[in-house]
Amino acid sequence: MTVFVTAIQGMLGIAALLALFRAVKGPDLVDRIVALDLVLLLLAGGLAAEAARSGSEFFVSAVIVVALVAFAGTIIVARFIEWRDTS
Amino acid sequence: MSIAEIAGITLILGGAILSFLAAWGLVDFPSALARMHAATKSASLGLALVALGAGLAAESAALFGIGVLVTVFMFLTAPISGHMLGRAAYDAGQASGLVHDDLANRPSRPLSFETGQTRVSLLRMLPLVVIWVLLWRDSSAGVWIGGIAVALAIELIRGIRRRPTLVRPGAFVVFLAQYMWKVVLSNLRVAWEVITPHNDQITEAIVAVPMRTPSVPAALLVANAISYTPGSLTIELTADPLVLYVHVLHFESVDAVRREVADLEDLVLAALGEPLAV
Repeated sequence: MTVFVTAIQGMLGIAALLALFRAVKGPDLVDRIVALDLVLLLLAGGLAAEAARSGSEFFVSAVIVVALVAFAGTIIVARFIEWRDTS
Repeated sequence: MSIAEIAGITLILGGAILSFLAAWGLVDFPSALARMHAATKSASLGLALVALGAGLAAESAALFGIGVLVTVFMFLTAPISGHMLGRAAYDAGQASGLVHDDLANRPSRPLSFETGQTRVSLLRMLPLVVIWVLLWRDSSAGVWIGGIAVALAIELIRGIRRRPTLVRPGAFVVFLAQYMWKVVLSNLRVAWEVITPHNDQITEAIVAVPMRTPSVPAALLVANAISYTPGSLTIELTADPLVLYVHVLHFESVDAVRREVADLEDLVLAALGEPLAV
């Protein structure tokens, strides 16, 4: 299980690097926020995998917090983009 | 190794692969809206699978329960952020390469709730707060504040809803089952798009789909559900009349898109028991 979870986290880590590449490249703010949203979801996935290894509820609580932050952040930036374009 | 552990490991592996493909699609897909398809569908289902698998793999009922909550949360939030970001991307002029675009001549008025008078009843809130504190088995100030915040949110949502929407349990289960099947198809299709090297099969378009129902809750449920079906993403919903604007990755004809949405609308209406507009 330990090796398996480490492999999964490695895979999610590489995925996060790919998403960060898009976040740096853009070209628009929309692309960046989609990419950063994905990075947070991948982080949440890594934490959930950690919960499978330890059996501790602590990590799953962290998953909920990270997913909430990802959602709230995305919504706020979407609002900002609409506000920026109308004013 | 027990069956639960094997099932858990399978789910975690599937979720991780989906998440990876979402990131790959984000690098590979040609336009901002197409990239959003990869992110909203695959990544959210991927996280839900890993969270569900964690509970099974650790053989813990408590963990599995939280995993189910994470899954519900992802299914509620992913279409919403996809919708809002999609609309923002379109308004920012990021929707390039569309072969058909109905959103260009949309009416300027987006859907808004007529909240009317919101009445907050302290009497109704009290039992909610008490149950909350009892469930936590802890009466510290933070728990009380959390309980009051949740009760207040419930009261405010009650104020928005103009009339009760009845749910038919049998039809709702049918809806959920068919919906899950569509979710699986949707993810397989996006995954296939990602691993095949050529993107020339992608034909993006935005299609206006008039809703047949006058019911706002039903339209919202259709709008959310559409974001998970193969290759389509809701990016706008306008009121009076209710019109759904759907971005599709594989455009064939306007009628094909409308037929797909109509099928889903039938399911939602059967599940909610809402009358069709005459």
